[in-house]
Amino acid sequence: MTSFEPQDRAAQVLRALVDSAVDGIIVIDARGHIETFNPAAERLFGYRLDEVIGRNVNILMPSPYHEEHDRYLWRYQQAGQARIIGIGREVTGLRRDGTTFPLHLSVGEMTVGSERKFTGIVHDLSERIRLEERLRASEEQWRSIVESAVDAIVVIDAGGHIEAFNPAAERLFGYTPEEVAGQNVRMLMPQPYREEHDGYLARYMETGKARIIGSGREVTGLRRDGTTFPLHLSVGEMSTKGGQKFTGILHDLSARVRMEEQIREQAALARLGEMAAVLAHEIKNPLAGIRGAVQVIGGRLPANSRDAAVIGEIVTRIDSLNGLIQDLLLFARPPQPRPHVVEVPSLIATTMELLSGDPAFKDVQVDIEGTSPPVFADAELLKIVFQNLIVNSAQAMQGRGRIHVSVTAVNDGCQVRFTDAGPGIPADVREKIFTPFFTTKSRGTGLGLATARRIVEAHHGTITVESPASGGTRVTIRIPLSAP
Amino acid sequence: MLIRWSIVETLAQQGHTVVEADTARNAVRAMGESRLPIDVILLDYRLPDSSDLGLLSDMRRMHPESSIVMMTAFATPEMRTEALARGAYQVMAKPFDMHTLESLVLEANRARPQPVSP
Repeated sequence: MTSFEPQDRAAQVLRALVDSAVDGIIVIDARGHIETFNPAAERLFGYRLDEVIGRNVNILMPSPYHEEHDRYLWRYQQAGQARIIGIGREVTGLRRDGTTFPLHLSVGEMTVGSERKFTGIVHDLSERIRLEERLRASEEQWRSIVESAVDAIVVIDAGGHIEAFNPAAERLFGYTPEEVAGQNVRMLMPQPYREEHDGYLARYMETGKARIIGSGREVTGLRRDGTTFPLHLSVGEMSTKGGQKFTGILHDLSARVRMEEQIREQAALARLGEMAAVLAHEIKNPLAGIRGAVQVIGGRLPANSRDAAVIGEIVTRIDSLNGLIQDLLLFARPPQPRPHVVEVPSLIATTMELLSGDPAFKDVQVDIEGTSPPVFADAELLKIVFQNLIVNSAQAMQGRGRIHVSVTAVNDGCQVRFTDAGPGIPADVREKIFTPFFTTKSRGTGLGLATARRIVEAHHGTITVESPASGGTRVTIRIPLSAP
Repeated sequence: MLIRWSIVETLAQQGHTVVEADTARNAVRAMGESRLPIDVILLDYRLPDSSDLGLLSDMRRMHPESSIVMMTAFATPEMRTEALARGAYQVMAKPFDMHTLESLVLEANRARPQPVSP
């Protein structure tokens, strides 16, 4: 069935369409004067229809468009250069109250009778832009939270691939985000977790049985340089449009674990100190008696007899036992430093003189170079440190060669560096070198460096050992000017 | 006790008169009974009935004319300082060399406080 609607009915429909449209509809003539201004346009711009009819449409535009619009229109009509007609773009509208707002404008051209007219459809973008801005602000806020977090944040996808790696994670692991992006997160784990992680993740995805997700635990991290460190890991799960993801928050426990270790070590040293004091009495007293009696009896033997030589040997052995107890005491109960003004280079020279009588140092040269302001330290204790280091170097060089000692003034302190021409210290040995009773010598107590470190630390100084690729060993001591 | 025997043997052999005692109590009595003045006292820090510096102070008071050498297996710097403050001539670490004993005793004798002349 076909129905013919009368002309005025069609006009009514069009009228209603324009009036009820959500977007503003504005019709202008060839000179830019407003002919139609629908209710949506009234709402948008805040003008009533009767206020705008016949006025230049540029009243709806802020500068510079306000001034330029007439020329656009003229140029279009003269030269056919369209900037907006037939297309659409985002522009700015000017409300009656002087405020502006973002809008999308699409302009069509029509000819009614012989007159050219232009229809603008105006869509308010304020809300969209406000939403976008809010989203951007919220994103920025989250980003800055993640970026500035002290704890490392690592996001992985369901396959274990790294998707996000914040600056704290960079600092913690030593990788840049570019290096880890898309890599399997197991690269941050030492064995055996490294092998097992894919299995954990797959099992969780399959069975939903979590070992760590939703909770936290202490685990071990693997840095880029191959070293490991303790950390607390808590893992959360999230579902996004891009699939299931897991967020790990990692808190470095190195400092805490180190402190716990230090406390344990201090307690162990205190116990060892008590033990050493008891041992000293219980061993040195009988040693004194044995040594004295052996010497008296030995004195009655013919001077050049074999028996007298044996007595001499017994006394030597007793002295080395006593030396061991002495070393143990010094390590376990180092005396409180009694600081005085100390000239470091001359103290090293004095230490060398003490050693020079020993035939083991006959072929060892020690050069001392440089100087520093005097430090406030315990000369007797520092002498023990220097002596232990020189003895170590001399032994490393098989009793033959040159030890270079340089003294320099550093920030509020004195640095002393001993460099020998020995074979150097392998990396695996270097880690244990300050451990008491660790020794690589066939005859050594393993207390020399441990004691040196205790004494240096009692002076609030530091001691480090390096073996440069060029060979030899370099021990560096730093003592603050006003030490204990 | 081996150390006492060794000291007595060493010094007697070198011509000194030695009075020995095994405890603090016996030492105090032996010194009181001695008919000869005592020049040098070799005093162990740890005895069966004494293990502090009280005996040192008592002896200094009773025999101000004698020089006292303390012997100890383990002297903390504090103990050493305290012993010297209480009038010990020296604090000797054990074990020590018997060959150096006499020279130490002679040195201590020379440093003996002179009796105040009347």
